[in-house]
Amino acid sequence: MGIIESFLDTMADLASQSGVAGFFADGGWKNIIMILISFLFMYLAIAKGFEPLLLLPISFGMLLTNLPFAEMYHPEYWEYLENVPERTGELNSHFIDYSRILQHGGLLDILYMGVKLQIYPPLIFLGIGAMTDFGPLIANPKSFLLGAAAQGGIFFTFIGAALLNMSAAECGSIAIIGGADGPTAIYVSSKLLSKTDTIGVGTIALAAYTYMALVPIIQPPIMRALTTKKERSVVMGQLRSVSKIEKLIFPILVTVIISLMVPSAAPLVGMLMFGNLLKESGCCDRIAKTAQNELMNIITIFLGVSVGATTRADKILTLSFGKVILLGVIAFSIGTACGILLGKLMYVISKGKINPLIGSAGVSAVPMAARVSQKVGQEEVPTNYLLMHAMGPNVAGVIGSAVAAGVLLSIVQV
Amino acid sequence: MTDLLNKAPELMLKGTDSNLDGGTIASVVITGVVVVFIALILLILFVSIYGKSFDSINKKKDAKAKAEAEAKLIEASKGAAVPEAKVAVNEPPVVEDGISDETVAVIAAAIAAMGAASGKKLALRSVRTAKGARSAWASAGIAENTRPF
Repeated sequence: MGIIESFLDTMADLASQSGVAGFFADGGWKNIIMILISFLFMYLAIAKGFEPLLLLPISFGMLLTNLPFAEMYHPEYWEYLENVPERTGELNSHFIDYSRILQHGGLLDILYMGVKLQIYPPLIFLGIGAMTDFGPLIANPKSFLLGAAAQGGIFFTFIGAALLNMSAAECGSIAIIGGADGPTAIYVSSKLLSKTDTIGVGTIALAAYTYMALVPIIQPPIMRALTTKKERSVVMGQLRSVSKIEKLIFPILVTVIISLMVPSAAPLVGMLMFGNLLKESGCCDRIAKTAQNELMNIITIFLGVSVGATTRADKILTLSFGKVILLGVIAFSIGTACGILLGKLMYVISKGKINPLIGSAGVSAVPMAARVSQKVGQEEVPTNYLLMHAMGPNVAGVIGSAVAAGVLLSIVQV
Repeated sequence: MTDLLNKAPELMLKGTDSNLDGGTIASVVITGVVVVFIALILLILFVSIYGKSFDSINKKKDAKAKAEAEAKLIEASKGAAVPEAKVAVNEPPVVEDGISDETVAVIAAAIAAMGAASGKKLALRSVRTAKGARSAWASAGIAENTRPF
């Protein structure tokens, strides 16, 4: 009899410590919803091909973090503490006890350090730089203007977030979604957001990548609404060929100018341009290929799965998340509209030589936004190839959103 | 630019600040848009300037090459050079002693394949050992150090 009782007690203990019991604990139902959402994202990534390289790691991180008692990620370790270091004697209200994380953290805590210490986004930019051809932008430098205009979405959304009484850090983090650049959004939000804010980095990243995946759905209606058939039918002339020396000077020039103007943008722009210099130099093929492939893939896995881990039910299923989703789509739409409107202005100034559709590519979702310009342009004139023309504003948008991020980080102090 | 931002304390916000007033919001938006545009317009200027200068250098080079080609064509049209050129194309390559016919055949085949692919008519003029070639031991060392791991 004693053996059976002991067996039953042990089984009861095991059951109470199992993850299943966690679902019945206080707020456990929220975890079930988050797990279902992770399944939905996995379906979208695998079956529908929506940004699978990012959405799949994020959704799996989301699944892992919402399994009760898995202890892979501890949100409480990432809450800011107040500390007065002996060295400075000044109160630091953004103190994170990294030694505790290193000693007791789970795998995803350790990986998340790369996000919190702003290591992954610049490394992703290194890979993007090594894969990007800035030739179309160098051939047509006016494209920079379209890349700048599309950043309008960032700053106009700042207004919307501020009107909803959000904190300056939240306003900056939500607004940067308008840049349609996942690493930049993660970089800014991981620097700005603190424990007093109602949203987390995972929320921002999720919204940013969701909208990037939805570029082909969100942008075309705005593009069609703001342009006439005549404007969409413009066939642009061939771009001039760009010499190797021009391509070599470009990354160095951009790094120096942008880093001197907006030093906060240096980590992102610097690494983007370093990657590009590796590619264009032609003397570092092995390193360039590593940056394009192995390094990029490793960082994408770490970034995706650890950002997914921050999407704990208690952080996501809130009213603030709804606000982020709403403001995010507004930011993205305004960015697209600003690019198109400047494109229209350039169409008028150039006396019909510039197709305004390339303006929407100024949001920096590379190369998806440029492909959308190409696709919408071809709906009017099937033989019109706008892709290379749209790549100019598209890569200018990457630089523009990094500059905008630097401006936000300069204005909003942590 | 950061100095400028620092000198305008009303533009500096604390991350925890909420209930931002209209003036502050407007300053953030105007500053942000203006700084982004200034940065990218500066880049337009620099890229345009060096683009144009390289373009003009390239055009000069092209013009020079074109002039040289025309001069050669005029010389050739005088008569004497044409048969020489034809003979040159058909001349066998100068092969350094010690290089086997098999090696020459392989190199010639590779060049012919390249020419066929690019649509250009290529000719093998000479085959010689590269100067400063590594010794077998040095090559083995480099292969060892650079082998993918």
